[in-house]
Amino acid sequence: MGSVDQGEPNKKKIVVAVAGNPNSGKSTLINALSGSRLNVGNWPGVTVEKKSALLNTSEAEILLVDLPGTYSLSPYTQEEIVARDYLVHEKPDVIINVVDATNLERNFYLTIQLLELGIPVVVAMNMYDEAKAKGFRIDKKSIEEILGVRVINTVATRKEGLDDLLDTVKSVELNPDKFSPKILSYGADIDAAALKTAEMIEEVNHQNIKDIPIRWIALKAIEGDSKAIEDSGLKIDNSAIEHITSHLHAAHDSDLESVMADARYGLVSGLVREALVRPGVQRVELTEKIDRVVLNKYLGIPIFFAAMWLVFKLTFDISSPFMDWIDGVTAGPFSKWSAAAMQSFGLPDWTVSLFTEGVVAGVGFVLVFVPVIFAMMFFITFLEGSGYMARAAFVMDKAMHTIGLHGKSFIPMLLGFGCNVPAVYATRMLENKRDRILTALLIPLMSCGARLPVYALFTAVFFSAYAGVVIWSLYVMGILLAVLMGLVFKKTLFRGEAPMFIMELPPYRMPSFRNLTVHTWEKGKHFLVKAGTYILAMSVLVWFLLNLPWGVEHKKDSFLGRAGQVAAPALEPLGFGKWEAASSLITGVIAKEIIVGTMGEIYTTDERANDAVKSENAGSAYNELKDISASFVKAVKESAINVFSTFGISSLALEDDEDAGGLKQLLKKEFTPLSAYSFMVFVLLYMPCMVVAIAMKQEFGTWKWYGLAFAYQTALAWIAAFVVYQGGRLLGFE
Amino acid sequence: MLPLGLLRRGEKAEIVSIRERGCSLKKTDLDCRTEDIGLRPGKVVEVLNNELHGPMLLKIDESRVAIGRGIAMKIMVKQQASN
Repeated sequence: MGSVDQGEPNKKKIVVAVAGNPNSGKSTLINALSGSRLNVGNWPGVTVEKKSALLNTSEAEILLVDLPGTYSLSPYTQEEIVARDYLVHEKPDVIINVVDATNLERNFYLTIQLLELGIPVVVAMNMYDEAKAKGFRIDKKSIEEILGVRVINTVATRKEGLDDLLDTVKSVELNPDKFSPKILSYGADIDAAALKTAEMIEEVNHQNIKDIPIRWIALKAIEGDSKAIEDSGLKIDNSAIEHITSHLHAAHDSDLESVMADARYGLVSGLVREALVRPGVQRVELTEKIDRVVLNKYLGIPIFFAAMWLVFKLTFDISSPFMDWIDGVTAGPFSKWSAAAMQSFGLPDWTVSLFTEGVVAGVGFVLVFVPVIFAMMFFITFLEGSGYMARAAFVMDKAMHTIGLHGKSFIPMLLGFGCNVPAVYATRMLENKRDRILTALLIPLMSCGARLPVYALFTAVFFSAYAGVVIWSLYVMGILLAVLMGLVFKKTLFRGEAPMFIMELPPYRMPSFRNLTVHTWEKGKHFLVKAGTYILAMSVLVWFLLNLPWGVEHKKDSFLGRAGQVAAPALEPLGFGKWEAASSLITGVIAKEIIVGTMGEIYTTDERANDAVKSENAGSAYNELKDISASFVKAVKESAINVFSTFGISSLALEDDEDAGGLKQLLKKEFTPLSAYSFMVFVLLYMPCMVVAIAMKQEFGTWKWYGLAFAYQTALAWIAAFVVYQGGRLLGFE
Repeated sequence: MLPLGLLRRGEKAEIVSIRERGCSLKKTDLDCRTEDIGLRPGKVVEVLNNELHGPMLLKIDESRVAIGRGIAMKIMVKQQASN
């Protein structure tokens, strides 16, 4: 494919697809090759998106395309369909097949299917070090000879063998005929049937097939994989196929898909017998020892809940000193300096107000929660990377069956604690649509990181002594209501069999620090991006809504205030029928982080003015800078102390000093502990944010399911907050 | 022959047959990945965990695979003498 137009001779471009089983280390390998930041986890199916990276080497540009991790190229999961569509229709020059050297049988089953496509394959024999440590001896040469592929030993985590791998890819691409994969025999009768089928397809379709691997299509036709045929756009004579395969049916007394699977597995086990020598005695692995405890009938669920509790506890202990620090900096020196700077440029007062009250107050309040969100993402990444996440799915499988789902659905739901949006996308790992939709409908009940700012603020004001317990109770309430709603859905909209559960449990691994930081950043980044875009825009919009019509005296009479006043009576029975609360909730539909930002704007305007006056005599900017860095050091120290001391520390204790925030003081006047709790319950449950709406629309192709989530959650939120508030009053709480 | 789901921890067995084996596009509820994940006639598997309710954990070749009770009861096995 020489391009003519360019003056300079262009570098050659090699398109390389990277295929492999889940947990084969494929993502780590592509990460190590590209240096780009792809998502690595330790449970099957984490790489659901197609990602790519362009490598610039001296001789050629190599485009790496990361295919979803799959066990097979059958048409049963989204991942498989994505992977095979790419291979069949985009025709990459070379396939890198990442193989887990400690588990050749499983991995070669996919390899065999890749070979059917006729594209040159380079096998990256990954985790070679682990295989060696187990005492395996792998005969590379015989694999290369039997399959017609090149085999390179790699250890992706330590970047071993990667240069060799790329060099091999380049040399294979230069000489595709020499390295074209062998056509393996599936037994005389299947081979003959495949040949006849291929001839028939060529006959029926004339010239239109030159780009499609004809043997693959023929094999798929024999298997009865009608989706493959359909997607190829080829015509096919079904009665001819039936005729060709009739004796296969008779001879094997089984459906042809099983016959083909048998043939492929036969090849794989022959190959492994040839190429692998196992050690005589195998010891009990550490992973199995841990699993005996972690998956134990009686200990499994308590251990799971203890792990969750520890995650929350550590999250808050580590992050709260940093939250106080950011709060101090944005609310104090930063807004004062920026106001002073803007005034000195002679900008009109309303722009100064827009900036300090709108942007700084709105975004600033949200930025305070960056530490807690990153800390939580860090621990979720750790659970994922260590392999425990898959165990959680195992432990919860039985419980999940009661709500008509299986344990695997639990993983997207657990991810929902970080952010509901990636959790909705993660439902792709489930095999069927019913499970995916039902799981996605329940995900918004998992309390995401965006709701945390609200809890953190309110618990700091009202429940500082039991912050951990109060926040934990909200998370548990979300889970219990998910169970309840799951039961309701199972009995109404989603009747049918409880689905089957099959899932690989990866070995436990200590995730590398780099891996942890990269993926914590990947997950937390969304929050920062949101703060920079949606929340910034919303803060500005909210400021206008609070200050229009122009010259409005009291914020109560602004547009947002009026909307809040209209909605407030509906919230009266819940204990917070005030326009301020209602207005904040209205803006929270865009993203729940904004609730706190809006409260910041509504409540603190006067406070900020006072701050500014007060700070006139507070000292020079230089001293303030010194204070900021000194208080940062103090925050680091406190955070470390919190982690290493006993778990008795109250995490979010309200500080006594006055600059801890006017908002907190004002909230104390506006809410009682009971109405504060009711408010938090409402925020936990009410409609999922717009970004989730978009994710659900994308995944399921219709607004219908988001509409259902919107409706049921808003109703649920009102009822739950009502029960909490009125019930609490009956019990004599305030 | 007995269903895989009835074996206890530590027992090994050879898979003889899987009821409802083989799957079509219409029957996506039956998880077809039994094949892909190595659960197939002739294979010897070891039970790593089985509480007789909920899912069970198997060792197949070098990997640990969790399967739901529904599938476990559909897989017929021949028990092997354990060591």
